[in-house]
Parts: sequence; C-alpha cells; structure tokens
Amino acid sequence: MPEPVGFYTDTTVCIGCKACEVACHQWNALPARNGGQVPLSGQSYDNTTRFSDVDWRHVRFIEQFPEDRNGGRWLMMSDVCKHCVNAPCLEVCPTGSIVRTEFDTVYIQEPVCNGCRDCIAACPFGVIHISAEKHIAQKCTFCYDRLQVGLPPACAQACPTRSIQFGPIDELKQRAAERVAQLQAQGQTDAYLYGADDSILGGLNSFYLLLDRPEVYGLPSAVQARLPSRSVWPASLKAIGASLAVALGAFLSFGRRRDAVKATEGHTRSP
Amino acid sequence: MSPPSAPPSPTLNPYVADPGWHGYIVWYFFLGGIAAGAYVMAALADLFGTAADRRAVRPAYYLAFPLVNVCGILLILDLNRPERFWHMLIQSRTGWPMFKWWSPISVGSWGLTLFGGFSLASFLGVLAEDGRFGLRRFSDLAARLRTGWTGRLFALGGSLSAFFLGSYTGVLLGATNQPIWADTTWIGALFLASAASTGVAAMILADRLVGGEVDHRALESLERLDSYAIALELILLATLALSLGELGALAFGRWPGWLVPWVVVPFGLVLPLLLRRLPGRGAAVLAALFVLAGGFVLRYAFVYLPTAFYLVPGHHG
Repeated sequence: MPEPVGFYTDTTVCIGCKACEVACHQWNALPARNGGQVPLSGQSYDNTTRFSDVDWRHVRFIEQFPEDRNGGRWLMMSDVCKHCVNAPCLEVCPTGSIVRTEFDTVYIQEPVCNGCRDCIAACPFGVIHISAEKHIAQKCTFCYDRLQVGLPPACAQACPTRSIQFGPIDELKQRAAERVAQLQAQGQTDAYLYGADDSILGGLNSFYLLLDRPEVYGLPSAVQARLPSRSVWPASLKAIGASLAVALGAFLSFGRRRDAVKATEGHTRSP
Repeated sequence: MSPPSAPPSPTLNPYVADPGWHGYIVWYFFLGGIAAGAYVMAALADLFGTAADRRAVRPAYYLAFPLVNVCGILLILDLNRPERFWHMLIQSRTGWPMFKWWSPISVGSWGLTLFGGFSLASFLGVLAEDGRFGLRRFSDLAARLRTGWTGRLFALGGSLSAFFLGSYTGVLLGATNQPIWADTTWIGALFLASAASTGVAAMILADRLVGGEVDHRALESLERLDSYAIALELILLATLALSLGELGALAFGRWPGWLVPWVVVPFGLVLPLLLRRLPGRGAAVLAALFVLAGGFVLRYAFVYLPTAFYLVPGHHG
C-alpha cells in the first residue's frame, strides 16, 4: 500500500509565476476558459480569479499596501483542492463517483458522476465545478495518472521555487513545522500552518504556510469548513418533531370529528 | 488588490461555489411538498378520520402520484448527465444497490422511489374505487385494502414515506457548506410544515375545482388542519430565524431572503389565516391560493438564499 501523500505549499517563497497553473493545464489537457477570451479582472495579476472546471490550480495575488504605497507586501499563494482527510464532497456524493485513492487523495471517477452537484454544495473551498464539455464534476485529480507511475504531480514538478512541495504527508508536515520555526526565529512571527493539524476536516492533505488570517487568502476557518453530516441527525430529529406535531394536529382534527360523529350516531340509535 | 472582505459572520462560509440548484429544484421542492403534504393528510385521515373525511381526502391520492412523477422528471432534468440518473440507485460498475445512509441525496432518492410506490398504489386504489379506466372490478378489493389492518398498516407506511419526502429536502440543504443553509438545522422541519399546509390547500382547491363534492364538515376539518399547519409553520419560521442569531437579520434583510418576512409571512401565512375566518367558498379558495403561492415563494427564497453571500460573484458550479 503506498504512503499517503500530499502538497505542502510554502506561500513565503511563491513568486506568482503561475507555472503550476500552466503545468496543470498542459498535463490534464485543460482548455483555456471561455475559448481564451478572458477579460482582464483588474485584480492585480490574477486573471484566473477563481477555480473553474478548467482551472484546477489558482494563484492568488494579495496586495497589502497602504494608501501612500509606502511599505506593504505582496502575498501570493497557489491554491488547489485540499484532498481533505474527511472530505465533504466524498461524504455527500450519492453515486459513489468520488472516492479516496490508495494515495489518500480524493478523486472523481468520470464515468460514474451524473452531475447532481451535491459535491459543489458541500465543498467549503469552492473547488469543484461542472465541466462545460463533459457535464460532470471536475477538480484536481492530484495527477492520479502520474502518481500511479511514480511521478510527482505536474504542478509540484513545475514549481521553480519549491513553493509547492509534494511527498509523503508526514514528511511534509515535519518539513513545514521546521520552516515555521525557522521563519519565526527570523522574526516572521505571523507564520503558521493552515490545515496541517486535524482541526479542519480532520486535516488537509494539501496544507499551507500562511502569513495572514485564512480569510485574507480566501480560505475558510476551521469553524466555517464543516462536515455536511454534522447536521443530518439534528435536522432529522427536528423534522421528526415537526412530523409528530402535524400528526397530532391531524389526530385532534379528524379524531375529534370522528368522536362527534360516533356520539351523534349513538344518540340517534338510542330509543 | 485589497484583501477579500471578511465574511459577515464567524460561521458563515462565503468561499463556496454555487451548486446551481435553481429553477427545477425550486419546482421540485414545491410540488414534492404538495404531494407529500396532501398524501400525509389523506393517510392520517384514513387512520383517524370518519368515512366522510376519507372521502374528502381522495383528491390527495389523485394528486400525489402524478406530482411525484413530475418531481422525478424535474430531478432528472436538473442533472448535468440526465441519462445517468439511475446511478443514484444502482452502482454503475457492479449493479448492486447504491445507498449511503449519511448522504441526504442518496437516502432521498430511495425515499422518493418508496413514496412513488405508495402513491402509485393509492392512485390505483382510488381509480378502482371510483371505477375509472376499467378498474371497477377491483373496487371492492381496493375498498377492503383501504380499511382494516391492511389499510392501517399501508396508511402508516405511506404517511411515514410522505413525512420523509416533505422534510428531507430541507435536511439536504443543511448538509452542505452553503451560506445560511449550513447555519441552521431547522429548514427540514419548516419545509415539512409548509408541505402540510400547501398539501391541504391543494386538496381544498381540487375539491372546489371539481364542484365542491366534499361534505362541508369534512372540509372544515381540513381547513382547521391547514390553519394548524400554518401556525406551526409560523412558529418554525421564527425558530429558524432565531437559530441563525446575528445571521438572521442578514439572511432575511436582503434579496431574496426578504421575500420571507415581507411576502411569505404576510401573504402566504397570515392572510390565509384571516381569510379562513370569512364565510363563503370564495374566501376559502382565495386562502388556498395564497397558501400555495406562499409555499412556492418560501421554496424560492430558501433555494436562492446562499447566492446573496458568495464572495466571488458569478462563482457558479
């Protein structure tokens, strides 16, 4: 059995080159969005702007500058499917199309998906989208075809600064913890790991070293990213309570009339 | 660019994509609610009511089966690969049943199928009892099966499957990470109460449309029951709003959420309660129409509620 693998993305060394986006497009034969007719977003260097059916990697550009442009910083991050340990998409998928692979990654089996889109509603990161071409759910496959022949995912291989690192998940976590310690020792006290522990959906197999709060990067907090099944029993019990209330109303409404009819019939029959 | 704006609440997740459950789903929730609500009331009348009540609820059995078929078609059309609809019930690779008890859509697919079976049997039963489509020779059998222990057991099973259909859609919305849907666990209960009120309203309307054949006392029972369901719906709506805490004002203060306090509550719930107090058939018909319209707007508002909170505009699935 292969070891669980993952991505560790060190955003402090991301230079926003988008080689990961290009490699992902190239390896997975993903076409340009809207036939290449993509208007400029006006959002820094980010014209990808979001995940889509053909954009499985998205490099975010966050400019943190004061009004007078004196000082400030760039934050860049290459975002991707988190391949969650407790994946909401996999949990809700009613057809069994979404599975966990032998590498502990989350994978959509294309011939099984019927495009119900429950996975889209469940994903807290906005990762999954419907393919305009295939009409099924699409997201990062973690280059499952490459993993099967011992190759790293295309994005990690293309990353020139090793911002995206691929490997056994335990090894990556150890490496990331050392990097945080190094940064903090250098005075970068805001450095921390997002998704490396089990606080978000049992852990993210694609986790990040960040320098600001998750929402600055467009990422949900541990409270905002929830497992769909958490609400099923509480909601079901409340629905059962409402059902009992309706049944009680029907019993009182119909039953009272039945008693009245019986009483009337009895009265009519009595001598 | 400036950093993305902070979410309006610590729990609400605005970073999700839109699943695009829109037009077909609104109609499915609405028509499925009517089918479930009408069937529930008919089955409960079979269990607890008089012979006149049982006659009064017959329109429900005529309504439920055609409606549940429309529901099935709507759900299939909503799939991006409609020809693979059967993957909901059968594993496409092995041919074994596909069932995940922790996935509301999976359980719902089986629940809808089960309800389809109950509503088909009831539909055939009333056709036979009424001697339609050459089924008169089965009328005695149908009448016997509708009474006694077999009838009670069937009504119990049918009402349970209808209760499920009326509420699981709301449970399903909660089992996501979508804004507002995921922030309350009361939508299923609310949809159930709305299913009950719209189901009864549809029965009352059906009776009026075919000439008011129902015994007026039985109809009074139904109208009283509808008023009770509306009152329950009002209580559950208030509870749901309170359960959202600070998000309640946000959810119901902007489009399309404001449809709930400004359209559903005054016109779909309170006005029908007032109209019921007026004498005459016109008022009863008007009340039923308002209940049905309110039920539709309620489903519309809840289905579209998350779209008001996405941080990336046009972030469609």
